[in-house]
Amino acid sequence: MIALERVNARAGGFRLTDVTFAVPQGGYGVVIGPAGSGKTTLLETIAGTIRATSGRVMLGGDDLTHAPPERRRLGIVYQHAYLFPHLDVRKNIEYGAVSTAAAAEVAERFGVHVLGDRRVESLSGGERQLVAIARTLARQPEVLLLDEPFSALDPRTRNTARRLLRTIYFERRFTVLQVTHDFSEAGLLGDIAIMLDRGRVVQQGDPEQVFRKPASPYIADFLGAENVFAGVAQPIRAEAPDWIDAAESEFTQNAVAFTTGALTFYALGDVVPGPTHAVIRAEEISLSAEPAMSSVQNQFRGTIVEIVPGGALTRVTVDAGGTPIVAAVTSRSMRELGLSVGVSVVAGFKATAVHLC
Amino acid sequence: MALPDPSRLEPSTARQSSNPIPRAIATIAVAILTSLFLLFILAPVVGLVSAGGAHGLSSLASDAELRASLLLTVGTATMATFLGVLGATPLAYLLARRAFRGRAIVSALLDLPLVIPHPVAGIALLLVLGRNTPLGVALLAVGLRVANSPTGIVCAMLFVSAPLYVSAAREAFARVDPRYETVARTLGDDAWRAFRRVTLPLSARGLTAAAVVMWARSVSEFGAIVILTYNPKVASVLAYDRFTSYGLSETLPVAAVLVLLALIPLAALRALRGGEPLPR
Repeated sequence: MIALERVNARAGGFRLTDVTFAVPQGGYGVVIGPAGSGKTTLLETIAGTIRATSGRVMLGGDDLTHAPPERRRLGIVYQHAYLFPHLDVRKNIEYGAVSTAAAAEVAERFGVHVLGDRRVESLSGGERQLVAIARTLARQPEVLLLDEPFSALDPRTRNTARRLLRTIYFERRFTVLQVTHDFSEAGLLGDIAIMLDRGRVVQQGDPEQVFRKPASPYIADFLGAENVFAGVAQPIRAEAPDWIDAAESEFTQNAVAFTTGALTFYALGDVVPGPTHAVIRAEEISLSAEPAMSSVQNQFRGTIVEIVPGGALTRVTVDAGGTPIVAAVTSRSMRELGLSVGVSVVAGFKATAVHLC
Repeated sequence: MALPDPSRLEPSTARQSSNPIPRAIATIAVAILTSLFLLFILAPVVGLVSAGGAHGLSSLASDAELRASLLLTVGTATMATFLGVLGATPLAYLLARRAFRGRAIVSALLDLPLVIPHPVAGIALLLVLGRNTPLGVALLAVGLRVANSPTGIVCAMLFVSAPLYVSAAREAFARVDPRYETVARTLGDDAWRAFRRVTLPLSARGLTAAAVVMWARSVSEFGAIVILTYNPKVASVLAYDRFTSYGLSETLPVAAVLVLLALIPLAALRALRGGEPLPR
């Protein structure tokens, strides 16, 4: 568990002010905020390398506000790997490992065991980051702090790193706090999302609620996503419907059935089975009076419950079996379809429009 | 993509290639000034070595006083450097890593020995460590004589050279990203262990270069030493003594050997710095 109670801290001219939140034991928290909002300062305050001037930092139920970093049973992975350049890959991974066997095991899991004797300067960015994660996990921390660890990676390596980390997370169930400045890079959304701005927590809570009901226009603008669904993903490659091969043959990812509430829709993604989130931008959702005969496979009938005009696009909320789906519709479509509150419509979107994270 | 209109490029291209005569004059002027400056630095050194180098090296075998003086110089400089590294490394680390009250004052104080004339530094040391001062008396009581002893030479070298070490060591530490230490701490190291296992190896080249600079500066020190300890004579004092007592010809071997001795740290520094990148 990570719990901060009215924590204040100072790093140079920057201040964290009255930061309070809790990530449950084995939970996954995401700190979101723009560059300069204090995300790294927050992580380093939890890590103990920046001293909290007041408040309490609780880790695993213990008050470790004044404990040195080495006693906090946590690990930190930065955006830049910070591999020790004077040590080879193996020695980096073994640096703080609970045992040589643990280091070897995690190195193999992340596929970096083959890099054993290589100097870190010779590694690619992706390899460095995988080694950095392996080095941290070899210590078997109870709390893992991730400071935008995937943001500098290419998409393929990013997906690999996320999947590997997520697999180990589900196995070991350590507590994670990941920071990001970009929702699309959040990667793994979890039990709590914390919005940070200028050193203060401006909103926190269930990620779905934070994304769906931003507390301020600033947060809404920053997040830029209206449809965020918590649910369960299940890869269905072996039983993939025909359309996966026919229409989406260019994709090498797995077909995934994602269930949220009463809805199950198809997506594409390289995910571990289990709880996850799906995000669909409102612009990707089309509305029609009847189901469309097209490649759009995710179609759900529902009733319009809210219409919010906003410039060129109007936000239309459709209640589909208890799940609200927000579509961005042009004023021409509004007129042609005769959309108004209470009208029955079909909301449709492609599998490729679904972002699993 | 639209290509830029070539006609718009013409004026700047023309400007770049215009006025070739002033450009040539400027190039020649820079070449002459650079050559004169290098000549000014090199001529005395080359002249000294060519005039007294061979004699100096051969007199190492026959001149016992020169041999003893060189050994004393190297020994005291090494001791001063050792003490400087031991005592000033934590201070350099603090200055590089920590923001503390009075940091600016400490930095200014460290620069003081670099800017005051070295004989004045010697006088200042004499006022504190001389045999008639309270500290000098106390040290004498425990058998440690400062003035006119190797201890005094070490003190003078330490006083004038250690600030150079602190400055260079501080830079060496500052070049190591503190997040390496953060990672090491979260991987189980306490502060000392993280310093020893990560910061020290990563700053080792810079620290060694700092120590070499301090050693070289100690070897070349004269002003502070001659005030505090005329005897026994380090090489620089011996050169001065022979010059004033016997004249230039007797001084040349000592001076030439000192120049050759200075090549050792110079070579070490070049090796430590490796292939310095060319300025872009």
